[in-house]
Amino acid sequence: MASSSSLGRVLTLCKRFQSVFRISPAISVQHCAVNLKRCQNNLLSEKSSLIASSWITPISFVGQRRALHTTVSRRGLEEFFDQPENWGEPNVKSGAPWTAKQLRTKSNEDLHKLWYVLLKERNMLLTLAQEAKRQSLQMPSPERMKKIERSMVRLDTVVRERETALRLLQTGQEKGRPGDWRRNVFGYEYWYRFKEYTIPWYMNKRHERKKFYTPHFVQPHIRLRIERFLRERARKVNLKRKTLAKLKERFPQMKLPSS
Amino acid sequence: MSVTKMVYPLYQLGNPQLRIFRPSWFLTLVRPGKEQPPDTVQFRIPMDMTKYDVKNYLEKIYNVPVGVVRTRIQFGSNKKRNHLNQRVKKPDYKVAYVQLAQSQTFTFPDIFPEKDRTLKEGSMEEMQEKFMEDEKQRQKSDPRRGGVTEWFGL
Repeated sequence: MASSSSLGRVLTLCKRFQSVFRISPAISVQHCAVNLKRCQNNLLSEKSSLIASSWITPISFVGQRRALHTTVSRRGLEEFFDQPENWGEPNVKSGAPWTAKQLRTKSNEDLHKLWYVLLKERNMLLTLAQEAKRQSLQMPSPERMKKIERSMVRLDTVVRERETALRLLQTGQEKGRPGDWRRNVFGYEYWYRFKEYTIPWYMNKRHERKKFYTPHFVQPHIRLRIERFLRERARKVNLKRKTLAKLKERFPQMKLPSS
Repeated sequence: MSVTKMVYPLYQLGNPQLRIFRPSWFLTLVRPGKEQPPDTVQFRIPMDMTKYDVKNYLEKIYNVPVGVVRTRIQFGSNKKRNHLNQRVKKPDYKVAYVQLAQSQTFTFPDIFPEKDRTLKEGSMEEMQEKFMEDEKQRQKSDPRRGGVTEWFGL
């Protein structure tokens, strides 16, 4: 099959680099990229970070570039499952999650590729968890799910930060999606985010029925809400004062806390 | 462009193709409950994914040749009640049946095979195993009685 021959070709190409760089096979490289940081072998982690940066792009000798990478992954649905060696193991080792500080050092291309690596790992863990539930068995190392989730959230944060910075520099807009402070029927002021429509707002019959003002009869309800809020705040203050008074009575030499 | 809730821009004729970078959609491959044809793979997908989304997802990210995708929404029961007699909802989920192209087949593998583990000498697990075996031996009745219960005297 065409795929196997191309795989063979790329593997032989990789062998040329093996003596120089000691590249591990594609499968474990992907897993190293996922569970970077705190790998026992620091050397391997450095190399795998470089490998992760270009694991999708194929080798090309056109420009005589020494592209440090592995093969284009040809595994299809196998990527929904762990390596076959880990099937049935009670524990699977994994490294620490990515921190925002580490992710900020990576380029946009790296982050884009890392997102997909994390996505595939997450799909694999979800498959594993569901199958474990089905077979009424324990999933090996369930902490991996949280690690991946947190890494993805941090990656998203970093990308968002970069996007806001670029937007501020280029256009001066703080938010990507336009919005406004509006008052709703219940007397609350909230950030209303604009939505795209094909017709203008004054021609939108459904939008007319939406009220962006507080009717007069809602004022008593707002007043009751304010009273409840003030009562709760007063209760908190009173409680604090009374506890301090009791303590002072019990321990006369006590020094009152500054806060 | 990935967000927790996807906001699709309006499409009018002539607009460029909508592209999603860093999708926040996660698929779960599940073992089919009912017998499926050999080329069908069953997934649990997020509710807002469509058949075209699933097809593109698998083709672009996993490089899997997809023929046709059929989806349905599975209702999660709201009948069970907790200790406070409140109804507990099991979440709804969407199921996708993906038929592979190029006459490929897929069988769900056995991910939890029985592995005979050789326990390390002097390890915690080995000591625990020995202790459990001793306990079980102690619970068994005297084999010299030939299956007769302890109730009978002597």
